[in-house]
Amino acid sequence: MVLEQSAGRPVPAVPREHLSSPVTKSVLTIQHHMLIAARGFLRDRGFTEMLAPIIGPVTDPGARGAKQVDVDYYGHRYKLMTSAILYKQASLMAFDRIFCVAPNVRMEPLETASTSRHLAEFHQIDVEVAGASQDEIMLLAEELVRHVVRHVMAEVPGELERLGRDTSAFAGLLSGPFGRLTHASAVADLADMGHDQNPAAEIDWAAEELLSRKAGKPFFITDYPKGSRGFYDRESREAPGRLRNFDLLAPEGYGELCSGSEREHDYAVIIARMRETGENPAKYGWYLEMVREGIPGGAGFGLGLERFTRYIAGLDFVWQASAYPKIPGVPLP
Amino acid sequence: MSALRAAAFPREPVRARALAGTACVFPDLAEYGHAVFGADPVRLEAQAADPLDRFRLVAPVFVPRRLAKLIDLAREPTYRDVELESVVGGFRSAMPVYVSAFGSTRTMSGDLGLAASRQAGVLGIPLVIGENVMPVNGYGRLGGDAEGTLVGRIRAYAAHVPDGTGGVVVQQSTEDADAEVWNCAYSDPNVQGLLESGRVAFELKVGQGAKPGLGGMTVLDEVAAARLAGAFAIDRPFGSANDMVLRSSSPGTFTEEILRQQVRLMRNNFPRARVWVKLPPARDVRAAAMAAWEAGADAVTVDGAEGGTGWAPLAFLQHVGLPLGECLRRIGEHPSCLLVSGRIWEGARAAKCLALGASAVGLGRAALIALDADAEMGLIHLVECLALELAMIVSALGKYHVAELSPEDVWLPGE
Repeated sequence: MVLEQSAGRPVPAVPREHLSSPVTKSVLTIQHHMLIAARGFLRDRGFTEMLAPIIGPVTDPGARGAKQVDVDYYGHRYKLMTSAILYKQASLMAFDRIFCVAPNVRMEPLETASTSRHLAEFHQIDVEVAGASQDEIMLLAEELVRHVVRHVMAEVPGELERLGRDTSAFAGLLSGPFGRLTHASAVADLADMGHDQNPAAEIDWAAEELLSRKAGKPFFITDYPKGSRGFYDRESREAPGRLRNFDLLAPEGYGELCSGSEREHDYAVIIARMRETGENPAKYGWYLEMVREGIPGGAGFGLGLERFTRYIAGLDFVWQASAYPKIPGVPLP
Repeated sequence: MSALRAAAFPREPVRARALAGTACVFPDLAEYGHAVFGADPVRLEAQAADPLDRFRLVAPVFVPRRLAKLIDLAREPTYRDVELESVVGGFRSAMPVYVSAFGSTRTMSGDLGLAASRQAGVLGIPLVIGENVMPVNGYGRLGGDAEGTLVGRIRAYAAHVPDGTGGVVVQQSTEDADAEVWNCAYSDPNVQGLLESGRVAFELKVGQGAKPGLGGMTVLDEVAAARLAGAFAIDRPFGSANDMVLRSSSPGTFTEEILRQQVRLMRNNFPRARVWVKLPPARDVRAAAMAAWEAGADAVTVDGAEGGTGWAPLAFLQHVGLPLGECLRRIGEHPSCLLVSGRIWEGARAAKCLALGASAVGLGRAALIALDADAEMGLIHLVECLALELAMIVSALGKYHVAELSPEDVWLPGE
């Protein structure tokens, strides 16, 4: 890979070199086949592909520490989507099973420029299912990931080989169910490894990498504490303070690929959760009006396409999985 | 020189200190040798309404800590040996003092805001930047004039604060969540230096002293109000013929669980920033403070009912909220850093607050008046006076670190 050094970290070459590099071509070819596989998998299970909006009066506030991008929409302050979550829930008014390949923009904190896995602009394979439980949606995410990996290995093995990806790393992923541990047990494991993880917060980036390096196949971390996620992740009625959600982490140090949850759909609970997450309910007018009249319960997830590509292709940096990468804080075309 | 008015505040002595510095810690030098001095009974009487004023600082004869210091120094210690350096809400501060938020109150827009930032930086004490500086004055990143904006103030502070000392505290309240003040600051290149050295805090504004139970209020002209109409309630209490309007924020809805989770979310989203929580002088101030500390807040700031710089209804100024002394009494023993503000401008009131459990005191109106008197040096002079008095008081109490002040150092008549 042709890299320049800037502030001690590798950054993409200029677009001409990046796009014409054989590495980029292999990566984008793999990504193309990943999308074919994902669409086929979801279509076969009765999903309708929808097109996600790009701007709206509000967007997902649940991106830790990231700034939203404001758009002057005829004098109204609109936002670029940080994720399509609110629209995914709304879309269940039309179909019970939907997905989209949605662009997201997040002005991530500058410290994420060094994690190798954050982009300010990225895509998610966004899936939402009416009536689904936490277990059902996790199983769907697992099957989707396995199907896509299997498809890429079958269709474009030469590209993986050109990139030097050791496909024996996928043996665990292909052969059995993904691992599972709760957030609380992940915190305990991290303590055993000498890492001080705040038990009330997201698994921090260094901790995520530690857990990921130790794993032999993808694994779920479930039941995050309230106070670490957005208002739409459903709180357990049996274990208050725990959310019925999950992250899916890849092994080998690649870290988080996907976040999902059962969704909160009770109007009064959503209002209270908005306040708990420091949000001003007034700005969510259209969404709350819809929730007040009733929306289907369900569950869903967003699978980060560039991160998933990085994992399958075995790349050092997530930006290598984008034709036009935007590294947080770096003004790139 | 302008003349910022502050009818409910000892404006003249603050202005004198801002202009002349530590000479004002003492009676007029010209009187020395020609007059006798003593406590003013009229003033003592007038103080009776404020619980903090009723307290007196009382020095002991026996001073074992002075002996320890004497042994340490091998000479008799004086007030110049008192250490004032303190930890204030997670920051190392030159003294147990910080500059409170002034918000976007008109008196604070523009140059005075920058002067406050610069002088707080020079002093090496934390600076709180008010919740609505960004929604009203802007952030200051893309184009235009950065002066008076959030970025302008942070830059001015960072340019003057000594390495390893001080910190900047950015406030946000319910309705500023729309403007993502914290997200903006956390991801901004201008803030990275302070963030990397652990000198940024975010303050969740739950309420304020001057109008507990109400949100922020600003009086604006129609044109400015139209720009903010989407985000704030606009009211016309001054009559339809008047082109000035009242812009109000909502106070925000809090329960114990909402406060706890908001603090947790701040720690989750901004792991490199300290978390401060600002409470109004409310009857359940102890329960709220404990909830914030237990959720992991680095500091709780309490603004007494005598505090505040901003516009507020007269009924609230005169009849609503607990005085700071009562807030301190209700909070009592506590596990973590408590910061307080409310009519603080000199060392004695500061020392009483510290003795009654505060870790540091905030300057609000006093800082404004001082900056208005002398925009170059006013705040520095005022704080130097306070520091000198504080050192003398701590030494008189037989102690040599300001953190050693405790309830034994104060006496409330009748108890």
